[in-house]
Amino acid sequence: MKLPLSWLREYVDVDASAEEIAERLTFSGTEVEGIEHVGAGCEDVIVGEVRAWEKHPKADRLRLCRVFDGEGELPVVCGADNFDVGDKVALAPVGATLPGGMAIKEAKLRGEISQGMLCAEDELGLSADHAGIMILPADAAVGTPMLDVIGGIETVLELEVTWNRPDCLCVIGMAREVAALYGVALKVPEPTFEEKGKSVDEWTRVDVQDAFDCPRYTARVLTEAKLKPSPVWMRRRLTCCGVRPINNVVDITNYVMLECGHPLHAFDSALLKESRIIVRRAAEGERMATLDDEERALTPEMIVIADAERPVAVAGIMGGAGSEINDTTQTVLLESATFDPARTHRTSVALGLSTESSHRFERTVNRETVEWASRRAAALMTEHCGATVAAGVIDVYGGAAELAPITCRLARLESLLGVSLGRDEVLGILEKLQIPVANADDDIITVAPPGFRPDLKIEADIFEEIARIHGIDEVPAADPMGRVVVDADDARPRAVAACREHLVGLGLSETMNYSFLSEQALDRFGKDADGRRVALLDPVSADHGVMRESLIPQMAESLGRNATHQELDAACFEIGRVFYREQGAICEEERLSIGLMGRQAGLDDTSPEGMFLRIKGLLEELLRVQNAPALELQPDAHPAFEPGWCTAILLGGERVGILGLLTAPIRHHWRIQSPVAMAELRLDTILSQVHDVQSFTDIPVYPSMDRDLALIVDESVCHGDVVRVIESGAPGGLTRVDLFDIFRSEEMGDGRKSMAYSLTYRSAERTLTDEETNRVHAEIMDRLRRELEAEIRER
Amino acid sequence: MAVFFGQMQWGWDFEGDETVNLETLKRTVAEGLDEARTAETADAVEAVRIKYLGRKGLMPQVMKELKTVAPEERAEVGRLANTFKKELTELLETRKKELSGDAKAIAEPVTFDYTLPGRGPRRGTRHPISTVIEEAVAIFGRMGFTVAEGPDVETPYHNFDALNTPGYHPSLDRQDTFWLDDGRLLRTQTSPVQIRVMESRQPPVRIVTPGRCYRRDTTDATHSANFHQIEGLYVDRDVSLADLKGTLAYFAHEMMGPDVAVRFRPHFFPFTEPSVECDFSCHVCNGAGCRVCKGSGWIEIAGAGMVDPRVFEKVGYDPETTTGYAFGMGIERIAMIRYGIPDIRLLYENDMRFLRQFG
Ligand SMILES: [Zn+2]
Repeated sequence: MKLPLSWLREYVDVDASAEEIAERLTFSGTEVEGIEHVGAGCEDVIVGEVRAWEKHPKADRLRLCRVFDGEGELPVVCGADNFDVGDKVALAPVGATLPGGMAIKEAKLRGEISQGMLCAEDELGLSADHAGIMILPADAAVGTPMLDVIGGIETVLELEVTWNRPDCLCVIGMAREVAALYGVALKVPEPTFEEKGKSVDEWTRVDVQDAFDCPRYTARVLTEAKLKPSPVWMRRRLTCCGVRPINNVVDITNYVMLECGHPLHAFDSALLKESRIIVRRAAEGERMATLDDEERALTPEMIVIADAERPVAVAGIMGGAGSEINDTTQTVLLESATFDPARTHRTSVALGLSTESSHRFERTVNRETVEWASRRAAALMTEHCGATVAAGVIDVYGGAAELAPITCRLARLESLLGVSLGRDEVLGILEKLQIPVANADDDIITVAPPGFRPDLKIEADIFEEIARIHGIDEVPAADPMGRVVVDADDARPRAVAACREHLVGLGLSETMNYSFLSEQALDRFGKDADGRRVALLDPVSADHGVMRESLIPQMAESLGRNATHQELDAACFEIGRVFYREQGAICEEERLSIGLMGRQAGLDDTSPEGMFLRIKGLLEELLRVQNAPALELQPDAHPAFEPGWCTAILLGGERVGILGLLTAPIRHHWRIQSPVAMAELRLDTILSQVHDVQSFTDIPVYPSMDRDLALIVDESVCHGDVVRVIESGAPGGLTRVDLFDIFRSEEMGDGRKSMAYSLTYRSAERTLTDEETNRVHAEIMDRLRRELEAEIRER
Repeated sequence: MAVFFGQMQWGWDFEGDETVNLETLKRTVAEGLDEARTAETADAVEAVRIKYLGRKGLMPQVMKELKTVAPEERAEVGRLANTFKKELTELLETRKKELSGDAKAIAEPVTFDYTLPGRGPRRGTRHPISTVIEEAVAIFGRMGFTVAEGPDVETPYHNFDALNTPGYHPSLDRQDTFWLDDGRLLRTQTSPVQIRVMESRQPPVRIVTPGRCYRRDTTDATHSANFHQIEGLYVDRDVSLADLKGTLAYFAHEMMGPDVAVRFRPHFFPFTEPSVECDFSCHVCNGAGCRVCKGSGWIEIAGAGMVDPRVFEKVGYDPETTTGYAFGMGIERIAMIRYGIPDIRLLYENDMRFLRQFG
């Protein structure tokens, strides 16, 4: 919210500088996000008068103007068309500098000389308005500084008003805060005006169908209103607050809203059928055009203000186009009311329509001062619109909101803040905040929350008030205290941390991706055949439209993006959650992905086999340090993986993930030339045993016996087969089986290969003899011959 | 019977009852050769010679005991003993030469280019986000906080209602929250984890909840549709705002530097009352004002406060006897300030040139 300081100072006598007030407000709960000096930098701009204009001969959109600057006429080329001869305008002559730093020089625009610039409000930093150039009041003295005409430089505080403080959404509310902080009085004007003519009851009638929807509705009627622009000072204050001036009647309703926080609405009484007001729910299928010229579909969930036939305003949000104040308006029906905050909010969301008015009503407006706001507006309208106020007011009011008294214990306050405040200080603070004390004992104070503080409901609310005015930063920092909650356990997060550390130790760099991506990016890795994907109902963009069901697509993309800027070597992992639908329910699961591209320190083999075995080795080592079951791979197929290079990861017999090489089309999407190895698995399957304590086994005392063997087998025989055969039925003495060579030669013939193994035998009880070792070794060789049709050469 | 196998650290055990056999001899052989290879001085080489080959050494003893060896092993033991004597003698000669500098045992270093690049495994790098999370967890861990986790997909009840959020708070708006078609949503904060923990146990509760959160923000240099938070909750008896301040002050100087101070500004959060925003003094300029702190000397880091009694009521705690504080802060923000990262998107691009800058 924007708060012009000159306005604030009308209600509170404080000499302090803007910076000082800003600091005090920030440290009492209303953060001042910025201080603007509106009009600063406009010192060179003067009042000019348009003496003549004609169309630019070569550009339809430009006008050639003759502008009088008080001494002579200047030729000025202007792109706006909202002015005519005789208008007073903001002229930046040659040599002037504008707030943005732009220096005005003599220029030629499409062949025509221009010796100045006619400025729009946004060019002068006065508002965001760029609809046309700024037109100054007709009585402005030509040649004088423009700032003198508009009231000089205004200092505006930009405030962040928190949700719980609707009372601060107005100048008087902030003045009350400042008055409390500086210990001075709040001066609220008492509106005065004369009532004339027939009574308001003869002009109109108000029916409120539901007092919960509309706890209070007041109507006043003003006649003989003369529509014109409101005074310069009022328009200036509105623009400083970001509200666009319209005409005097509408401006006054907005001015009073900014002043006291009550949104008001003015109807053209002549446009109300039967001149009456009904506050009711919209009927099913009812429609109306709002002031912004949008046709709105209404529902029975919405409160409307209606005349005898049709809705004329969406209650508390926006008026209707059919009853708005217009050039011919003479009789004004002035509404000042309150509406159910929750329903106002829901309607605002449903219509996608958020206004200054709805912003306040959805945060609660004090119903006790509704009538004051109406009188204030009526007084201003008699003064500035020449209007006459009809006698009396219609006030449909079920009574003030019930705000229960609150009991505050000083001992509790002390223990909660950790600092002792005296009873006198507490009472002093409550008085400054205009929170009445109903009863004050030694230790217990009972307060009666005022109507403008609907947020005060419980003891803690009052404590907060006391703490913030006392100065919450005055609370001392107690020495930090340790506290062990004996049965609390965080083994799982610690296991994840250990896993992350192990992965980094294995040379992998951690990556992080968004939890959502585009449907298209997922499709590249396989279509969503069984409806597992979870889409966001209302994504910011289609690029982030679907929750990730796998970490692989983004890992591939991360590697790919690196490849596109010549980072061809990358070894990465990500730990993150994936989301999928299973039997209709949305599930989430934490996964680990690993992606390898190019070389790693000491690992230069980037062949398909090299990459596959590297990621396999990484995973094996990770599983070892996580104390997880040993890695098993099984042939598998997946649309994202190269056929023949795709395996399922099994741990303890359970399928937990996938490992392999990405298909060439996926790689080529990012122009990655070399094979990319990728693995993904359920993280929880490798966490549970990481904290297990290892128990020591004796280091072997007796020497081992090594025996090598080389076998020539069919290509279809895998290393795994050989190990399985060797280990099946081997005596306990076989402790290691190491593959140390594979080769192929013409001599062996096509489809054959030689595999050389070193077998280590050892006994924990004694030194094995040559004889027994040879016997066992021979048995193994026999089995290999028998089961794998191996041809064996002993070494 | 002389026995020499029950070797002990400080001498020879002649009291044992093992006899000379092939197995024990093999062990002696292995030990002898090893001792010869590892002898570091000429004296040590001589000691090995005396121990095994000297007049009262082990080998002469073995030859003497040969007749007691089992007949089927006797020949083999004899052969092994002789081979060993020959091998050991040669080895001791070589070793003596090596030690006296006669042999060029190691390639002379004069031509070796020690400036060649080092080889071997390299560690990977941790992501700044997880580094900050784990350091924060460790700092709070020293004060007895343990980590609690919860789901990313949350119920509106846990994300909003139980946290005392009014039914029509702006943050409940569709435009700020990602909703799913089952009526649930992606959590906008990690506070629902605190609710889940309080629902599942009685006080004391002392937890931190790091995790991923989601807001329907358009991504730019300082906003990201998903981000990380760490929140903390301490619920017990007689917990005060002063305790909260002390805890955050400790965190501030452990995380950002020993000279970093904290200050409280009043604020509003539905979950806490009183609520504060907590600023850290700028670690770059020590409060003097610089680009990082936008000239103010302070950086807004955390939201915090005393848990609202209405929250305790929701989870079934007695608001009369229970007090507690809660705090929360953005991990990305801390990481960006700490490492001087100018744009939040860098954290999610996984550019190796970025990642490699972090340990
Ligand atoms: Zn700084």
